[in-house]
Amino acid sequence: MKKLFCALFFLLFTVNSFAQKNDYSVFSISDSLKDNANAVLRLDQMDITIASQRSMNIKVQRVISVLNSKGLNDVDGYQHYDKSTSIKNIEAIVYDAFGKEIKKIKRKDFRDQSAVSGSTLFSDNRVLYLDYTPISYPFTIVYTSEIETSNTAFIPQWYFVGGYYLSVQKCALNVTFPKELGFKKKEFRFSDFNIKKTTETDTQLSYIATNIPAQKPEDLSPSYGDLFPKVMMGLENFHLEGVDGKATTWEAFGKWYGDKILTGTTVLPEETKVKIKALVGDEKDPIKKAKIIYDYVQKKSRYVNIAVGIGGWKPMMANDVDRLGYGDCKALSNYTKALLQVVDVPSYNTILYGNPYKTDIQSDFVSMQGNHMILAIPTGDNYVWLECTSQDDPFGYQGTFTDDRDVLVVKPEGGEIVRTKIYDDKGNKQYGKGNYSIDKDGNFSGTLAIISEGSQYAQKSRVETFLPNEKEEHYKEYWDNINNLKLGKITFTNDKENIRFTEDVHLSATNYGAISGNKMIFVVDAFNQSTANIKRIRNRKNPFQIQRGYLDTDEIEINLPEGFSIEFLPSNYELKGKFGEYKTEIIKKENNKLTYKRSMFLNKGKYSSKDYDEYRLFMEQISRNDNAKIILTKN
Amino acid sequence: MKIIKLLSLSCILLVAPKAISQEFKLGKVSIAELEQKVHPKDSSAAAAILYKKGVSKMEFDQNEGFIMVTDVEARIKIYKKEGYEWANQSVWYYNQTNLKERVFFSDAVTYNLVNGKIEKTKLKSDGSFDEALSKFRGLKKITMPNVKEGSVIEYHYSIRCPRESIVRDWDFQTSIPVNYSEFKIAYPEYYVFKPRQKGYIFPKITTVKNPKSVTINSKERGTGLVSRTEFYNDKIDYVETETTYVAQDFPALKDEDYVNNIDNYTSSVEHELSLVRFPNQPVKELSTDWNSVVKTIYEYEDFGPELNKTGYFEEDLKKFLGGITNQNEKIWAILNFVKGNVKWNGYTGFSCDNGVRKAYKDKTGNIADINLMLTAMLRSAGLTANPVLVSTRSNGIALFPNRNAFNYVIAAVETPEGYILLDASYKYSVPNVLPFRTLNWFGRLIRKNGSSEEIDLMPHKTSNDIVFMNFDIDADGKVSGKARRQCTDYRAMLSRENFEKSKEDEYLEKLENNNRKIEVSEYSRTNEKELLSPTIESYSFKGGDLSEMIGGKIYVNPMLFFAQEKNPFKQEVREYPVDFGYPFQDKFNITIKIPDGFAVETLPQPVAYNMENNLGSFKFNILANDNVLQLMVVNQINEAIISTEQYEMLKEYYKGVIAKQTEKIVLKRI
Repeated sequence: MKKLFCALFFLLFTVNSFAQKNDYSVFSISDSLKDNANAVLRLDQMDITIASQRSMNIKVQRVISVLNSKGLNDVDGYQHYDKSTSIKNIEAIVYDAFGKEIKKIKRKDFRDQSAVSGSTLFSDNRVLYLDYTPISYPFTIVYTSEIETSNTAFIPQWYFVGGYYLSVQKCALNVTFPKELGFKKKEFRFSDFNIKKTTETDTQLSYIATNIPAQKPEDLSPSYGDLFPKVMMGLENFHLEGVDGKATTWEAFGKWYGDKILTGTTVLPEETKVKIKALVGDEKDPIKKAKIIYDYVQKKSRYVNIAVGIGGWKPMMANDVDRLGYGDCKALSNYTKALLQVVDVPSYNTILYGNPYKTDIQSDFVSMQGNHMILAIPTGDNYVWLECTSQDDPFGYQGTFTDDRDVLVVKPEGGEIVRTKIYDDKGNKQYGKGNYSIDKDGNFSGTLAIISEGSQYAQKSRVETFLPNEKEEHYKEYWDNINNLKLGKITFTNDKENIRFTEDVHLSATNYGAISGNKMIFVVDAFNQSTANIKRIRNRKNPFQIQRGYLDTDEIEINLPEGFSIEFLPSNYELKGKFGEYKTEIIKKENNKLTYKRSMFLNKGKYSSKDYDEYRLFMEQISRNDNAKIILTKN
Repeated sequence: MKIIKLLSLSCILLVAPKAISQEFKLGKVSIAELEQKVHPKDSSAAAAILYKKGVSKMEFDQNEGFIMVTDVEARIKIYKKEGYEWANQSVWYYNQTNLKERVFFSDAVTYNLVNGKIEKTKLKSDGSFDEALSKFRGLKKITMPNVKEGSVIEYHYSIRCPRESIVRDWDFQTSIPVNYSEFKIAYPEYYVFKPRQKGYIFPKITTVKNPKSVTINSKERGTGLVSRTEFYNDKIDYVETETTYVAQDFPALKDEDYVNNIDNYTSSVEHELSLVRFPNQPVKELSTDWNSVVKTIYEYEDFGPELNKTGYFEEDLKKFLGGITNQNEKIWAILNFVKGNVKWNGYTGFSCDNGVRKAYKDKTGNIADINLMLTAMLRSAGLTANPVLVSTRSNGIALFPNRNAFNYVIAAVETPEGYILLDASYKYSVPNVLPFRTLNWFGRLIRKNGSSEEIDLMPHKTSNDIVFMNFDIDADGKVSGKARRQCTDYRAMLSRENFEKSKEDEYLEKLENNNRKIEVSEYSRTNEKELLSPTIESYSFKGGDLSEMIGGKIYVNPMLFFAQEKNPFKQEVREYPVDFGYPFQDKFNITIKIPDGFAVETLPQPVAYNMENNLGSFKFNILANDNVLQLMVVNQINEAIISTEQYEMLKEYYKGVIAKQTEKIVLKRI
């Protein structure tokens, strides 16, 4: 009895002293950390212990003071798990502004939910998450969790900056690993931040960073991952869902992936082989053969993602895809590869990051990377890239999801880093040719043909699949400079051979010309107004980038109403700079006719924060000139 | 003889409907259906439901008594790739300790036409999945094999629900056309279900009574000296009510802007148990009219009794109220007391989660915890307060008496001036200005004695947005001035939400960028926290881009960046009513000083537009006085909801409003 009492007392005492040691009161946070912050990470610590090639333990401690309701999302009180990752413990304690404990949330009070995301049909991934309703702000949460996993292929990337509007008081990373596993790391952008490497031995690595002020997001910035310091980590000898792997060089990694993961997945039923051979017939040219097969796959298959266990990394068997007619990016790429093999066209599985924001496979850091797979068909020194999840994309078209980035091509002899197709700025074309007439009451009617190529093809061709009401909405949004717009006949020509999309649109609108007294005023450039609204940003900090350039040219014939004469015509205009070139021209013809010519060319590029205002002014001048008006007077 | 006649008659009755629905049977996919390239009535449809049939039938189970079994079969045509998502189907089910449903998919087959012949591909186990969504629900999913443009898919599923009172909702409409949809519900005479139909088009309804019987095996142990078990075998006859809903050729649903909630317009039927009457047992009424619905709810343990608890707050509240005697001050104080002490945890519901007492202690609770607590406090302070049941916007409109119609509760205080509606779950809510989610037609007030009354939830008071602005134009066309904007009621609520969204410098950045890149200075805010007063923002501004110099003349829009330049109503045809949420008035008082050496060449003409039935009005008045122009613009909409019949008028009205607001003043040199 006595003993128990002692122990209890001791326990109370230690808890108490712990509370004193850790000051969770929000009043001790310095003002510089509160600037622009919705929450302050008092401590963000991760301890990664790699015990062996098949065992990794990760402990997370996050002490976060949430200053207002917008900071609630930064608590990040959740942990994913599945068959190979178990949660050893998870807990959260809430403290009020003064640092007094107000609530303890145990594992059973976390919510357990399946974590099947949007495009996935099924996976065994689940999540435990904290569901806490704050009773007042500010408050502090101490969140701790520990997981154990047999997968060592992915060591989490470590970011020292926790997010936007989130400052960091102290951030610590500790990693321990056996020296024979070939641990490696790469540091990114440490220079502007106060980051100290405290340990670096052949079994240990530690960093500490302190007092990182909150960052604000700025338009056109590089993505978060490309802007702030981070550490990438990996093992040369790793384990993934029951398979040991090697990542010493890309060549070795690619070989491992080919031998251990891809081998045996391209078996097809005999009757399918016969069918494919018959389909291809006498065709000798490998690219023409590939076209026939790509078309076959597009008509036969659809995208369905089922990711269970190794299925998240290993493609579904080609004969299953053949029978079911569906699969994810890996399954469909691999199936296409299997069909190509039947007619002796070589092709390679290609691992990459699929994202409209161009993201490279980090070429100097050999590890499991990427979130998508496409297929590469060699053509001498180059490749044709096939997006096998799309039922609409033209053969070899990369659009904006896989273009211009470093990818890993998995060849039988090993892996190789290659750059995908770069769409030239001047090839990202839109050409508009048409006419419009204004009647004496200011009513507008016209027709326009818009031809889109290059990366602009990707944006435009999707309109073809729209429902009638979506189409109407799209054009009314596209020409929201024309009030009271009524759409007439719309026809599309989708030339997949030349990757060119043509829209033929008839449109009309009442009151386009504003009449005041005996004058009529209207904007000349009715069809292609620059829509880029480049925000004014006070004291921009980040560099900015234009990921894809483009070239728009328009030639429009304008019929002015009879009985009016021109009081004012905007003058011709030209603007040239490092961001691009812009030019407009109005040519007067007889019988109250005008020809309006406009061209706008934008360069892609990476620019410093100082260039931002110049870019804004460049775009503003263009937008102003796009709004130039004609004034007519009644005779 | 008579008996035979009756029999043959019922035979005909049974046969006749079958003859019509013969092709609506699994496995009977026709070549014509496979060959069809586009839907005959909607060429844009990516897929269509060729038929879908559901039967919910109460069945007798020896172990569980009456249970509800639902069988659904469907045939879907896929015309285009965009319709591939219809090849993935899922059904959720209850999976909690006290309520476990079971779902089985079967007969799932994909049909394709290959060289003029029908090719069948059956779904195997690798295409079906069972996902444990949470502690309470599971989801069965299937993904059909071998689906291409032109495929027809079929599947069947059945749901066994141990609770006989639960009937799944049935939608006759969805985002693709429905050629034929049939729903049948059958239950014994001991039960009465109330249907609740919604939508703009309705299915045909027929009801028949079928004679039925069950055999109940029971045993009874004797209590005599020699214990003996007797087995009984009772055959019980009863009448089954069978109601069938048939919808034919229902078009695809299309969502629109300014629609309250598209679900309100989906043709569908829900069923709710309203009466249980077993022989030799008292009749249990659950919901037959609003009064009995309300009475049932009031008697729920987590509703009525929660209102009577007062001990947990009495002392605190007394201290807080001090000597307040004025009715409105009291209401306001109590509303703030609850807002300050209990935070909403994000869950709706008219019944308490953990109970008011625990919510008060934990300082957090669901809607019922908060607003029933509020009602109890108002009562204990001597006010006549009652709860009002509400169906939120996302829950749809409560048209027919049933308990599931509601998912929310607010409080109402009866005063000589009418009801004052209150909701303590939202920090910017004030008396009679409720959070937007609750503005959904009618609610039901429940009194202590069990009587109830319909309460109009739609605001009738106009929310104002009043702008005072004066600005100077200089000889280069540069504009500088001051603006003061004052918002009341719902407009004030919106302003406060916007203020909260971003820090002040970010807010200013947005204010500048959204208003033709003006430069804002001397910005100030009043009454940001004084919820009963209008929000006021004042600032100075200047901008080089607000006017144009064309041919030596200055063209300027007199409303500058306040001009509404785009018609919000672009659609040609409107399917559903326009829902503004509340009546409003936008008013502008503008004073313009023109530069020396310039004179007015043209001024927009004053106008006044009025919509029929006093729906709304627009006034535009401008006066020139030497070098000063006075402008007054008012746009007023008097109804929260505008019907589809009035859409054309509304669109035309806005066309006029926009045309006027885009007109310019022309200044010329003198």
